[in-house]
Amino acid sequence: MIHVDGLDARVGAFRLRGVTFTVPRGQYGVVIGPAGSGKTTLLETIAGVIAMQAGQVSIDGRDVTGASPETRRLGFVYQHGYLFPHLSVERNVTYGASDAAFAGEIAERVGARALYDRPVRALSGGERQLVALARALAVRPSALLLDEPFSALDPRTRTRTRRTVRALHRELGITVLQVTHDFTEAGLLGDVAILLDQGRVLQSGPPEGVFRRPASAYIAEFLGAENVFSGTVRALGDGALEFRSGPLTIHTVGDAADGATHAVIRAEEIVLSLEPSPTSARNQFAGTIEEVATLGALTKVTLDVGGVPLAAALTTRSAEELALVRGGRVYASFKAMAVHLC
Amino acid sequence: MTQPGAGGHALPRSLAAHRSASIIAGLCGSIFLLFLVAPIARLVAGGGRSGVAELFTDVELRGALWLTAVTATLAMAAGALGGTPLAYLLARRPFRGKAIVAAVLDLPLLIPHPVAGIALLLILGRESAVGRVLLHAGIRVAGSPIGIVCAMVFVSAPLYISAAREAFARVDTRYESVARTLGDPAWRAFRRVTLPLSMRGLVAAAVVMWARAVSEFGAIVILTYNPKVASVLSYDRFTSFGLTEALPVAAVLSILALVPLVALRALRPDRGAGMDV
Repeated sequence: MIHVDGLDARVGAFRLRGVTFTVPRGQYGVVIGPAGSGKTTLLETIAGVIAMQAGQVSIDGRDVTGASPETRRLGFVYQHGYLFPHLSVERNVTYGASDAAFAGEIAERVGARALYDRPVRALSGGERQLVALARALAVRPSALLLDEPFSALDPRTRTRTRRTVRALHRELGITVLQVTHDFTEAGLLGDVAILLDQGRVLQSGPPEGVFRRPASAYIAEFLGAENVFSGTVRALGDGALEFRSGPLTIHTVGDAADGATHAVIRAEEIVLSLEPSPTSARNQFAGTIEEVATLGALTKVTLDVGGVPLAAALTTRSAEELALVRGGRVYASFKAMAVHLC
Repeated sequence: MTQPGAGGHALPRSLAAHRSASIIAGLCGSIFLLFLVAPIARLVAGGGRSGVAELFTDVELRGALWLTAVTATLAMAAGALGGTPLAYLLARRPFRGKAIVAAVLDLPLLIPHPVAGIALLLILGRESAVGRVLLHAGIRVAGSPIGIVCAMVFVSAPLYISAAREAFARVDTRYESVARTLGDPAWRAFRRVTLPLSMRGLVAAAVVMWARAVSEFGAIVILTYNPKVASVLSYDRFTSFGLTEALPVAAVLSILALVPLVALRALRPDRGAGMDV
C-alpha cells in the first residue's frame, strides 16, 4: 500500500501542496496530469530522492517519511530507463539485487535476459525500459514507481510493454504507482486514478468514477469531457432535476440543490438519429452538423443546437450509415442518467 | 539576382558575398594560427635536436625535468584530492554562498602569478606564522620542492575544480537517484555510478591541471628558485648565458608539452557519458 498524506515538497519555484491519496496494497495507481503538474516530483518525493517539507508517506503501513531512499524499498523506473551506461545489461539488472537467482528469474520473465550480451547503448527504447523494469523488480521492492515508462515508446512496443507490466503486477501482487499524461493509459491500467494539476490533487478514486463523475467543471475539462455547460438547476420533485443553460433545457436526476452549477455529458453518451426517435431518453435536441471528424474507428460530430455546440461520438460505421455531412439536420438524444452535475 | 552583364554564369550576389566572407575569415584564421604556431615551431626547429641530445648529457636539465614532473604530479594529486569533493559540491548541492565560493576559486586564475607567489610567501614563508610552525616541525616550504608543489596547486587547482565541476554536472542526477532506490547510500552511489560516469572528465581535468602546473613559472620563482623546475631553469639559462643556452631547454619543454595535449585529445569527453540511456 502507498499512503501519502498532506505531502508538501518544493523544487525551485514549483511546489507540491497537500498531496493526499492511497493506493491499496497490490493495486495499480495512476497519477494523471499535464506536463509540469508535478507528477515526476511526486514520485521522486515518495522515493525519498526529493526531500519533503511536510506530510507523511507510508509504504505497506511503514512510515518512511524520514527514511533515506535506499531504505524505502521502492523500485523506480524513469521515462528513459536511466540504465547505467558503464555497466553491462546483466550488471544493471543485478545492481541492487541480493539474490542473483531471483534477479535472473525476473530478467527472464520480463524478457531482459535475452539482452544480457548486448551493450546498453545498443538497446532500443523498449528494451531499455524492460531492463530498467527488471532492475527495479530484482530488489524485491514493496512498491514500484513508474515515471511515464511507456511514453517514449512506439505504439506497438508501448502496448507490449504495458501488457508485460500489467501481467507482472498481477503475478507479483506488487503495488504500483505510475504517472502518465495519457488518459487512455490510466483507464487501461489503473485501479486508482489520481488527478494532479499544478502540484495539487484534484480528485482521486477508481478511474471509471473519476472519468464519469468529475468533481468540478475544471476537472471535467481537464479530463477532456467535450460537453461542459454552466447554468442553473431546479428540483422538480422525486429526484428529477431540470438544468437550464442558454437555449438548452436538460432533464436529469439527483439530489442537487437549486442554483448555479455545471452539467457534464460525455460525447459517447449522445445518440444521433436523422428523425426524432421514440426512445426512453429524456433529452432530445435538433441540431445542425458543424463538423464531422473521423478518428479511426470513432467519429466525432459537433452539432449546433440553438447556438450551443454539442459534441457526440459514434462509431465511424454508424456515421457512414447515417451519411452525416456538414450542414445536415440531426437529432441528438441522451438519457437523464448520462448527465453529471458538478 | 545576378551581376549585370555576367550572363547565365554569374553567381548570385549573396553567394559571392558568402564566398568572399569565407576567404577573409580563412585568411584571418590562418594568420592567427601562424602567430600561435610559428614561435613554437621556430623554437623546436632551432633547439629541438640539441635539446634532446642534452637530455643525455645535461644532468641539471634532467634533474629539472624530473623535479617538474614529480612536483606537478604531486600537485595534481593534491588538487584532485581536495578539489574533487569541492567540485562535486559545487555541481550538485545548493548552499548559501555558493556563488562566492565559485568566484573565490577563480581568483588565482585572475591575479598575476608572481603576485600569487608573493601571497604564498606571506602565508608559507619563514617569517609567517604558518611557515614558522611548519619549520619547527621540520617542514620547509619556501625554497623547497614543497614550495613548488604549493605554488603549482595554487595556480592550477582552480582549472581542475572548474573542469571537474563540469564533468559532474554532465552526469544526470537521476542515475544517482536510481542507484539510491536500488539500495545504495549516497557515498556508494557516488562511487559506483557518478564517479565512473564522470571519470573521463575528471582525468581530463587532472591532465589540464598537470599541464598548467608544469608550465608554471611566476609563482614558483618567487617561492622556490632553487631547486629549479624546468621553467625556472630555462629562465635562468636565458638570463645567465643568453638565448643560445636557453634554447635547448625551452625546446625540450615545448616538445614535452605535446604529451598532455595528446592525452587530452584521447580523453575527449565521451558523447555518451551522462546521457540518459
